[in-house]
Amino acid sequence: MSRLWGWRLALPPALVLLLVGGVLPWVSSAYVVSLAILFFLSLTLAQSWNLISGYTGYVSFGHVVFFGVGAYTGALLATRWEWPWLPALLMSGAAAALLALGVGAICLRLRGAYFAIAMLGLNEAVQILASTWESLTGGGLGLTLPPLLEREPIYYLMGGLALGSTALAHVVASSRFGLQLLAIREDEVGAEAVGVPTTRRKIEAFVLSAVPAGMAGSLHAWHVSYIDPASVFSVLMTIQMIVMVLLGGAGTVLGPVVGAAAYTILNEIFWVRFPFLQMTLVGAAILLLILYMPMGVVHLLQERGWLPRTRKV
Amino acid sequence: MLEDSSLYLQVILGGLLLGALYALLACGLNLIFGVMRVINVAHGALMMLGAYGTFWLYTLWGVHPLLSLLLVIPAFLLFGILLQRIFVERVVGGPELASLLLTFGLGICFANLALNFWKADFRSVPYLSGAYTFWGLALSRPRVAAFTAALLLTLTTYLFLKKTRLGKAIRATAQQSAVAMLCGIDARRVRRITYGLGAAMAAAAGSLLSTIYSFNPEMGHVFNLKAFAIIVLGGMGSFPGAFWGGLLLGVIEALVAFFWTTQVSEAAAYLLMLLVLLLKPEGLLSASGGAAGGRG
Repeated sequence: MSRLWGWRLALPPALVLLLVGGVLPWVSSAYVVSLAILFFLSLTLAQSWNLISGYTGYVSFGHVVFFGVGAYTGALLATRWEWPWLPALLMSGAAAALLALGVGAICLRLRGAYFAIAMLGLNEAVQILASTWESLTGGGLGLTLPPLLEREPIYYLMGGLALGSTALAHVVASSRFGLQLLAIREDEVGAEAVGVPTTRRKIEAFVLSAVPAGMAGSLHAWHVSYIDPASVFSVLMTIQMIVMVLLGGAGTVLGPVVGAAAYTILNEIFWVRFPFLQMTLVGAAILLLILYMPMGVVHLLQERGWLPRTRKV
Repeated sequence: MLEDSSLYLQVILGGLLLGALYALLACGLNLIFGVMRVINVAHGALMMLGAYGTFWLYTLWGVHPLLSLLLVIPAFLLFGILLQRIFVERVVGGPELASLLLTFGLGICFANLALNFWKADFRSVPYLSGAYTFWGLALSRPRVAAFTAALLLTLTTYLFLKKTRLGKAIRATAQQSAVAMLCGIDARRVRRITYGLGAAMAAAAGSLLSTIYSFNPEMGHVFNLKAFAIIVLGGMGSFPGAFWGGLLLGVIEALVAFFWTTQVSEAAAYLLMLLVLLLKPEGLLSASGGAAGGRG
């Protein structure tokens, strides 16, 4: 009964949002569409980070590496080998997944500290590789891409990706798999004792989290038509993912949505004007969130009774 | 042939000289990890602040860089104790996610405040030049001075941990925090002093580094990664492991830079780290598997 009630309550706003999102490119300016693309990108990345770090508690400090690898895969396939966009998009997700599988198989057998350290280094190593392998990647000068897709198709694709990764989070959250991930976060030894194949689950979650980040990377590359190692492997993007998820609520489905929306709006209103101060504030925000609101906004709303207390949000 | 071997010796010695700074940095990191199972992601940023401390003392008042250590070390000991009291203590024993992200946030704050106030310009402290030459080898004077100071500081800390009551309390807490508390050791105090010591070691490494390299507020990031690679090499939580790991990384980087390029040598640390994680995650230099599995 209460479940039906929850669905009925959530359905109208969701439909309105979908409708607004669907007609947005026809009724608004290029600026608003670009802003929306940025929001979808942030949301996809936040969901991606949340899937491994929010659910299992294993902090991926170099998550932007999947975005960067996806960006280079998409850019190279589309320009050098002239693949059509759809297979190129899928391949960029696959490339990120493959990298996650390799790294995860090495680092996720161990406890979290090793994983965090290894991910911090991985992004750096891959960035150096991209800068030095000039014959393939164009090195530090970067790659300029011919326009592959218009702004509108990018908008719908990025929107679809954001929606898809949120739907994925919803499915994971209410599944046995998701429960096992949460068990790993709460007590890994205990989870193992009751028969959760922890290493396997962690690797699966990691690979799953890499896919949307990689696909977002190639869409981003086609959108901005220029990529270089410093911008697509930027540590700031990892920091952004972390702060968005912490703000909204780690290990929840709606947390990344709230976090990404808040971040995009704040960024647009005033942070762009004080770039250095922005990062200081982001650092301070991480401190304060960890100390005073480790569960994020969504949990706060749940406690107030404004959101149902199920894992599905 | 003789020329060749002296060239290699020169490269290896150069690596050792730098490696001692890495060792000082990584020993502080491992000390903190050993006692409270917290990976101090702010370590590189503390190092950067130490470098600026020496830089400003030298630039504004002409304080000799090695003497500036006498100010930098106590200042960062206090600063570290303060950081522990206000921030880090609250996440000790909590989920890993909290301590990793908290120290990460601290590091971001420090780096960007420094960027705000001191700009992104590269700075250096060129107080000494020239080289010692013997047996056909040439060792730059500031590097030898930094090496000696780093070695002495690491050794002093080691002796402090081995011989003094407080040092023994720190090691006891690292081994078995609950039992140490039963024996009347004030674990919170021990943790404060440990974080202070770790911060002071990072800052001292930064001070010394400022005399041989140019740096800017973003240097912390690269050195964080190096320090992490070192403690993985040497075994997490092990003080001697971090020391030998630091020297080893210095030499490996020097050799890779000599045979390939400096850029590849930056990546060498990470590739080496991944390799160690794959083959011997308890660390190359640890005899037993004691520290394996981190929290385990």
